[in-house]
Amino acid sequence: MASGEEEKAVVDNPETISGDIPPDWKANVIAFACHYCAFAAADLAGVMRLSYLPNVKVIRLPCTGKLDHSYVMRAFERGIDGVFVAG
Amino acid sequence: MTKKAPLESNVDKVGSVLVVGSGVGGMQASLDMADSGLMVHMINEEPSIGGTMARLDKTFPTGDCAMCMISPRMVESSRHPNIKMYTQTRVVAVDGREGNFTVKLEEKARYVDPDRCTGCGACEPVCPTRVPNLFNVGLDNRKAIYALFPQAVPNTRAIDPARCLYLTKNVCRKCEKVCDAVAIKFDDTDKHYDLSVGSIVLTPGLKTYDPAIRQEFGYGRFTNVVTALQFERLLSASGPCGGEVSRPSDGTHPKRLAWIQCVGSRNTHNANGWCSSVCCMYAAKQTIIAKEHDSEVQATVFYMELRAFGKDFDKYIDKAKNVSGTIYRRAMVSEVIEDPDTKNLSIHYIDEDGRRINEEFDMVILSIGFEPREDALAFADVFGIEADEYGFAKTSKLNPVETSRKGIYVAGIYQGPKDIPETVIQGSGAAAGAMSILGEKRGTEIQEVVLPPERDISGEEPRIGVFVCHCGVNIAGTVDVKQVADAAASQANVAHAETIIYACAPDGQAKVKDIIKEKGLNRVIIASCTPRTHSPLFMDTIREVGLNKFLFELADIREQCSWVHKDDKQVATDKAIQITNMNVAKARLLDPVQQNSVGVNHAAMVVGGGIAGMTAALSLTQQGYHVHLVEREGRLGGLLHRVRRNIEGDDVQTFLADTIARVEANPEITVHLNAAVESTDGFIGNFVTKLSDGGSVQHGAILIATGGIEYQPSEYGYSDSDRVITQRQLEDLLAERDPQSGETYVMIQCVGSREEPTNYCSRICCQDALKNSIAIKQKNPAAKVIVLYRDVRAYGLKEDYYKQARDLGVLFLLFTPDAKPVVDTAGKTLRVSLPGTVLGKEIVIEPDYVVLSTGLRPQPDSKEFAKKYKLTCNIDDYFLEAHVKLRPVDFPSEGFFLAGLAHAPKNLEETISQSLAAAGRAGALLSKEKLTVSGIVSKHNRDICMSCLACFRACPFGSPFIDEDGMISHNEVKCTGCGICAGVCPAKAFQVNFFRDDQIIAMIDSVTEIN
Repeated sequence: MASGEEEKAVVDNPETISGDIPPDWKANVIAFACHYCAFAAADLAGVMRLSYLPNVKVIRLPCTGKLDHSYVMRAFERGIDGVFVAG
Repeated sequence: MTKKAPLESNVDKVGSVLVVGSGVGGMQASLDMADSGLMVHMINEEPSIGGTMARLDKTFPTGDCAMCMISPRMVESSRHPNIKMYTQTRVVAVDGREGNFTVKLEEKARYVDPDRCTGCGACEPVCPTRVPNLFNVGLDNRKAIYALFPQAVPNTRAIDPARCLYLTKNVCRKCEKVCDAVAIKFDDTDKHYDLSVGSIVLTPGLKTYDPAIRQEFGYGRFTNVVTALQFERLLSASGPCGGEVSRPSDGTHPKRLAWIQCVGSRNTHNANGWCSSVCCMYAAKQTIIAKEHDSEVQATVFYMELRAFGKDFDKYIDKAKNVSGTIYRRAMVSEVIEDPDTKNLSIHYIDEDGRRINEEFDMVILSIGFEPREDALAFADVFGIEADEYGFAKTSKLNPVETSRKGIYVAGIYQGPKDIPETVIQGSGAAAGAMSILGEKRGTEIQEVVLPPERDISGEEPRIGVFVCHCGVNIAGTVDVKQVADAAASQANVAHAETIIYACAPDGQAKVKDIIKEKGLNRVIIASCTPRTHSPLFMDTIREVGLNKFLFELADIREQCSWVHKDDKQVATDKAIQITNMNVAKARLLDPVQQNSVGVNHAAMVVGGGIAGMTAALSLTQQGYHVHLVEREGRLGGLLHRVRRNIEGDDVQTFLADTIARVEANPEITVHLNAAVESTDGFIGNFVTKLSDGGSVQHGAILIATGGIEYQPSEYGYSDSDRVITQRQLEDLLAERDPQSGETYVMIQCVGSREEPTNYCSRICCQDALKNSIAIKQKNPAAKVIVLYRDVRAYGLKEDYYKQARDLGVLFLLFTPDAKPVVDTAGKTLRVSLPGTVLGKEIVIEPDYVVLSTGLRPQPDSKEFAKKYKLTCNIDDYFLEAHVKLRPVDFPSEGFFLAGLAHAPKNLEETISQSLAAAGRAGALLSKEKLTVSGIVSKHNRDICMSCLACFRACPFGSPFIDEDGMISHNEVKCTGCGICAGVCPAKAFQVNFFRDDQIIAMIDSVTEIN
């Protein structure tokens, strides 16, 4: 690799990016939930008519032990803001 | 080995059973019997099954939500093809005899057609009548049309005829107008059924004590005095205040909480004489949970005696004291006074130094006890069984689940106060009883479902059908279901998309089936409610038209969308589209899943020939199975040889000799004496065990009843004087000679128990001490008995004996572990001195005998044994069951069962119950010709597996194993489909059916689509 290219390859570290977060910004979250507990808890929230922000999508797993690194990586690669693993 | 026809054959016997009461005990009995091929008629008086446990918030020691544990059982019971459920039903008459009873049932009119009602709940908001909600113990109101609780099973509303405006005043009918399912049926009438059943199991449950009788506590007068059951509802997330505990008087969060124990128990004057067995532990649990809810809570428990007698119970009390800071005060509360301004409550009590104290609290919780049902005697009459003096079903302690009428069994609190696991144990034990008499009639009353052959969809492009459910207004009131269906229709491979009013109603399911056939669909998505309750129903629906069950997915747009986002319709609709499309993405990749099955060897191996092993072996042979009973000693009987009588006075040695004789005479029990288990290979239904005597045994189940040992004391001069003896030796002594007038016996409790390193209660020693003290006083009232104790744990009906001992003049003196009694054996006479920490001055006694109440210990080699079978032990080296509450005789490894002292210290009655339970559980397994393996299992691809052993180490069930070629193979029979192996496998050689990586990734991709 030539030395000039090296400099170009430096990627902004998201943690050091300055600038304000837009006021209407909401984190986009995927929740990986165990069928037996966390998914059931999400159901109970509905049964009790609790409310929470809509920007979380629940993906059901047979057990959180089924969580694969690749799921988390894939989610972040595709621009998700947060991953919630519950079980 | 084939299944044996039981010895006595009776053509009149009926292969069905009536279970009366559908709480946790009734459901356990029903499921065990239904699994074994008996037809079960399960009836319940309330409109939903679930019983008392459904009312609890959490259960100790795990802090699991009670509803999360019991609700899968409720769903399973309601969906089992061999269980017919009747709610709002009672038995009015019973005729006939063991093997062939005729019962008359009366089902109250529900006024809602259960075949039509979809449980959508649209009727409730429009009902104008508010009725105190008894499920929440009157803390809030429900409507006249109601579900007992949100997770009610059946999920069908019922109308309260005493409160419905139309049924009482002929006006209203509002519910009828909003019911799109046309389920309201005001002309409904009571129904009567006649059933023939071979056996009856009674699990009618309990009533709680009405604390208003104890006027000094102010219940019913002071708003902030509640019962423990009300406090459960206040703690519960589905209770009247949504789990944020609030004070009834002003809705504030109470900080200073007091529990008063033994309200309605241990008091023969204005309450019940017995100990309710569970209040000490539920109070400890409530203090811990209350503290979890609000860290500023200070809990105080006023108690007489801390009865933490069960497995790991003392450790839980220690947690309450040490982690949650619960204060325990040994004091009898004389009265509770309310401050009329603040509604705070003052408790008056005498402290340990004898001072009179007034302490103020924000709320007072009364730990109310159990009683038999109000109509207990009439109930017993209907079934023609005897009740004891209190109204509990009368049973012998040697046959704890048999009533006085042959063929009728009992389980749970109707047999005497007990907790959840003991109720579950008796449920399985009662099932074993019924299965013993009806063994040969298995399969005669049940109907097998005949399904069309599965359509081969290989090579077909996915043709997905999407049905978006209105669920009345539950979904459609918030989500624009038409938009959701349109959005799905635009997705690739979606061949059909439409909305449907109620997908789960019979007409909805018929429509789904028609469209599958008409459009040639090969994948189906229903966008409606939660897959946890409704997937099995829809999977059966598509299977009925020849589609593999696993070509289905449920998109949860009700619980997880319309119900939680009901304030913003567009947001909810957008999310419902995302959820549905996410499932479309997964559905494209769904493949048929074949469920394999394996044959079952119908014999059991029972390890341990004590009373637990023998009881289980006899029950299994009565159910029709062969048993290999393996005992490493040279004779059967184990520790029970050392017990002469139980506290109730039964002749234990005659019972033991009779049991041994029955085992030895039984041709279906092969007894292997002087033999230990060397190794076991195989899996559920198909085990091969090598014995140390060279023998080899084939069996389908393993029942571990390896027992425990007696503690040999070194304390209190036991080895220095032959006048310092154990309770067991005292029993022998009393058999030889009567106590002399003027003789003094000092008993010391908790010797070698409840202290490090063996910090647990041995459960039986208090009963032993009471038994022997009563025997001494009865034989010679002029002999003296003094019991030095920490807590007299005379739980349940054993409290009667504690009272009897006191009435006979036995003295009970308290000591604390930091100031234990001292025994001096040096002089001519024995000297026992009791430090003055409790009584204020030192007491010195010169007894003739010091009797040590020594406890039990696990087998010294229990850990090695556990390792052999990959089982786990608790910290005290007793075997750990699969689930402390609901699976008390199962191991996590399938095909393994547990009974007796190997599980934890317990008395003879409890050991027998547990052994019957284990035999019932094992019998239900052995009844099967084939075991169907769950479809959702991990599939192993040997071609890419590197045998790195990551899966082998991580799997809790031992399903990946090292095969003969040294490489990993996978036993799908043991697999539970948790997918831990798939998660850890670096080569991705494991993929879980229905949750494959490509399927999950497709869902992630769908929901992260950049528009």
